[in-house]
Amino acid sequence: MSEYLPLVVLFILSTLVAAIAVALGHLFGPRRPTERKLQPYESGMTPFGPGTRRMPVRFYLVAVLFILFDIEVVFFIPWAVVYRKLGLFGFVEMLLFAGILEIAFVYAWKKGALEWE
Amino acid sequence: MSEQMILTQTDLAERFPGKVRRDERKGYEGYIVEADALLQVAQTLRDEMGYDYLSSITGVDYLPDGYMESVYHFYRTTGGPALVLKVQTPRDHAVVPSLVSLYPGAEFQEREAWDLLGIRYEGHPDLRRILMWEGFAGHPLRKDWREPYYEEDAKPFKSRWPDGHVYRIEDKNPFHKNVDYPPDFDPDQWVADNDAALYASLAKIQSTLDSSLKTDTVIVNMGPQHPSTHGVFRMVVLLEGETVRALKPVMGYLHRNHEKIGERNTYIMNMPFTDRLDYLSSMSNNFGYALAVEKLMGIKPPERAEYLRVIMAEFTRISNHLFAIGSLLNDLGAYFTPMLYAIEERELILDIFEAVAGSRMMCNYFRFGGVARDLPEGVYEKMRDLAFERLPRRIDELDLYLTNNEIIRARCEGVGVLTPEQAIAFSASGPLLRASGVPYDIRRADPYSIYDRFEFDVAVRYHGDVYDRYLVRLDEIRQSIRILQQALRDLPQGPILAGKPQYQVRVPPGEAYGRVEAPKGELGFYVVSNGKPNPWRYHVRAPSFVNITALETMAKGNKVADVVAILGSIDIVLGELDR
Amino acid sequence: MSDPVTFVAKWLEAYLSGLGLASGWIAVIMAALGVIALGSAVLLLDILLVWVERKVVARFQDRLGPNRLGPFGLFQPIADVLKLLLKEDIIPQGADKFVYNLAPILALATVIMLWAVIPISATVAGSEINVGALYIVAVGALGTLSIIMAGWASNNKYALLGAFRMVAQMISYEVPMVIAILIPVILAKSMALTDIVESQTVWYIVLAPIAAIVFLIGAQAELGRAPFDLSEAESEIVAGYHIEYSGMKFGLFYAGELLHALTFGGLFATFFLGGWRGWGAETYPILGIGYFLIKSMFMYWVIMWIKYSFPRVRIDQMLNFCWKFLTPLILTVLSITAILDKLMSGLPYWAYVLGMLLSNLVILYFVYQAVGRYARRERQRVADPEKFRVNFPVKSTASPSHLP
Repeated sequence: MSEYLPLVVLFILSTLVAAIAVALGHLFGPRRPTERKLQPYESGMTPFGPGTRRMPVRFYLVAVLFILFDIEVVFFIPWAVVYRKLGLFGFVEMLLFAGILEIAFVYAWKKGALEWE
Repeated sequence: MSEQMILTQTDLAERFPGKVRRDERKGYEGYIVEADALLQVAQTLRDEMGYDYLSSITGVDYLPDGYMESVYHFYRTTGGPALVLKVQTPRDHAVVPSLVSLYPGAEFQEREAWDLLGIRYEGHPDLRRILMWEGFAGHPLRKDWREPYYEEDAKPFKSRWPDGHVYRIEDKNPFHKNVDYPPDFDPDQWVADNDAALYASLAKIQSTLDSSLKTDTVIVNMGPQHPSTHGVFRMVVLLEGETVRALKPVMGYLHRNHEKIGERNTYIMNMPFTDRLDYLSSMSNNFGYALAVEKLMGIKPPERAEYLRVIMAEFTRISNHLFAIGSLLNDLGAYFTPMLYAIEERELILDIFEAVAGSRMMCNYFRFGGVARDLPEGVYEKMRDLAFERLPRRIDELDLYLTNNEIIRARCEGVGVLTPEQAIAFSASGPLLRASGVPYDIRRADPYSIYDRFEFDVAVRYHGDVYDRYLVRLDEIRQSIRILQQALRDLPQGPILAGKPQYQVRVPPGEAYGRVEAPKGELGFYVVSNGKPNPWRYHVRAPSFVNITALETMAKGNKVADVVAILGSIDIVLGELDR
Repeated sequence: MSDPVTFVAKWLEAYLSGLGLASGWIAVIMAALGVIALGSAVLLLDILLVWVERKVVARFQDRLGPNRLGPFGLFQPIADVLKLLLKEDIIPQGADKFVYNLAPILALATVIMLWAVIPISATVAGSEINVGALYIVAVGALGTLSIIMAGWASNNKYALLGAFRMVAQMISYEVPMVIAILIPVILAKSMALTDIVESQTVWYIVLAPIAAIVFLIGAQAELGRAPFDLSEAESEIVAGYHIEYSGMKFGLFYAGELLHALTFGGLFATFFLGGWRGWGAETYPILGIGYFLIKSMFMYWVIMWIKYSFPRVRIDQMLNFCWKFLTPLILTVLSITAILDKLMSGLPYWAYVLGMLLSNLVILYFVYQAVGRYARRERQRVADPEKFRVNFPVKSTASPSHLP
């Protein structure tokens, strides 16, 4: 696992650098808050209603599609590395898997899951 | 032309006896209609006589005579002169029936007349103030309404140099002491209640949407401080996800009561003031105002001046359309690249304006009966080079890179469609109208100046979408280049001003409506003179203001991104919209 | 002195073991030093990128760009950083303070993290993990998280809309992009980026041009650059998710975005342009760094070129393009590549390369035809002349439907 060591170090380092930058900005910048200044920006008007809302349902559909595909694509990756060693069985098996995925894709398309409206 | 349309103007008084009479006042034209017959007359005009286009609605306060007048200018989209109707109503109880049911384009103009003149339009579906804020005291265009800085009724103010010295108004009226408030009014605490009513009306629509499906709808302000609104225009939109379910335009953030100031000014003082309307095309503004006042004065500019006027107006059209196309592309998200290339050509045109008028944007070039200065040396060659060589080449280049771009076509085609019927009904004008398949160009339909001498085509497209509005602008640039080439070829020598230059002009009493095909649409100036050095009434029919009436219809049901593109395709300038 | 980096590393290691440290500690110290060197190099590059981007854009747009501060305006980014440091740090009312502050930090940190696995020369790579491709995908997705955090925590409607859009876009385009990465993985038979570079005796852009194009489009979308800059759509939602950020926090988003673009340039170079490979790069690894930087910068330039040339697509078009075009296309290419790779495994390498190239070109031809047909059909639907005939005089039948 020693090759993962640099990743951990880099993660700590990069977060630290970014955090220091934010802290420096906090340190050097002036702070003269006024009520108007702290208002969330809405084209110069006082915002009407809260700024955080429920997501429109359409975005959830995209997220579900993403889960469908991304998770399955992740299965492809280890297979792609070793499929020559797996022989014909592994190859056909994966083609079947891809076939099922594509059927699901066509189904989603026909059902209109890919339409925005 | 159908049988019915041959019904001529003279019949109108006979057809509605006792209700309609000719306007017999000296210098006036058209008919005076009794208020209760207005709807009936308008219906006849629209359905039988072919006056399908309601160009302008405004009001005049005839204070000495004790009545208000609501003035209507009707046109036929097949061309021809105006038919003017007037409705007189007492000042203390000014009520006129609304024409919105017949001409939806009257909506904002009637609201404006209510706001500024206090003429109540009975039957208007949404009669609120439009340029001033709700709760504003009085109607500022009434002649007895006086602004906080009031000194005298008309410039030049004699009080400014009582003993040979000029006083600045700031010395006489120091800041903070120049406004009178009612005793119980604190301007710092007061909040205009426009927004409450506005949000409430949107919330009503919201409730009807929410019941069907449990999606969150959001009311979002786009503007006044928003990059896509080309200034300080504001749209309050009701969003469902990305889709705009309802939209309310709010304007007036740049309102300075142009018309009141214009009525205080002398005639010539208004010439530079018109520059500030549509500050991207000041030459066209000058043109319209000069036409209106010349009509009243009954003078005509000499040949060379007419040619120079046309040349400048067409250069203005090109520069304005380049800017419009550039900003439309910006609204579509092409991060300034097309804009900057389009503006490059505009700069060259502004160079010419600077050479002839001394200013790049606020040209103040036209005078009553001519133009201010002749061409300096070398400018003619520059203009020839632009019109014959450079502009045609660069326009082809823009065309090549933009017109068939897949993303532009995908974003613009079929978006924000305005059918020809709607376009006419909403009194749309300019590229907005012509992109909807109505070949109505004032230069052809009701020629002014010397436009009848030039050969050019009226640019027209038929789909009424954002893409066609872009194409119409491109076509119009090409036609303007054609006109420029002819005008530059034929430009005669001679004087540039009828008579000698004068500071004060003598304008006989009467009314005149001068309208030009400004780059953004029909720009009209309605001027009423009572023989004094200042106009009694000075009204601007601004194309941006009237065109925006159709925005809500076009925007509904589209995505946020489309609404921005639609607004960009109308091509508004806030200096003109808010006046 | 053919490889100064290895030389220095060897010397350090020898020095540290000379001090009598345990080998485990030496590994930790070496990792830390190496990564600090890498991180600083990347951050320095990032500061330079501010200048590069502004200058290049200016040239695209017929302008001069920064030219006041230092030669060719080279010191401009330093002035920018100083200015950002001195700006007021505003946290809007109702914001979730912790998340709000964390988002920009994460935005920059995740981008730097990506550089850990990119092989910069034959001997220099932050970490040679054997699941490099997977790591890229995983850490790349963390960047999305920072945007959701920023959009949600800002208590601003525009920011929220921007975050919604960005999430929809990023997770959508991740699908074709991951599959596009899969194709070099199939060709190289390894997920380690070092192996992928080493196996590119012929650049993979020749073997898999479609995958390269799809990867570039996906990268453009992941970066949120035009024509896919919906998340910050200046003309619609003003600045999107980072609208409420000021000063250095905004600066971190900005720096993160620029570095992200260069990173994707570097990834493109690694996957498709042979990474550090070039004439003499194996004997003189220091040359490899130069080659890699040139290729990355070139791809960065291409990304900028696209960004500053095109208008923005709409959200439905953006998703349609991904789900109905890119995803099926790249799935097909993946299957064909896998089958061909299986079938041609016995052939000499030049034939293998030729076969791959030809298959790609054939697919590209058919796709081009299909897209052209689709576009023509769309045009016809829009331009139906009958629908738009006007009869004069027009009776204004339109009622003001929008009025109550």
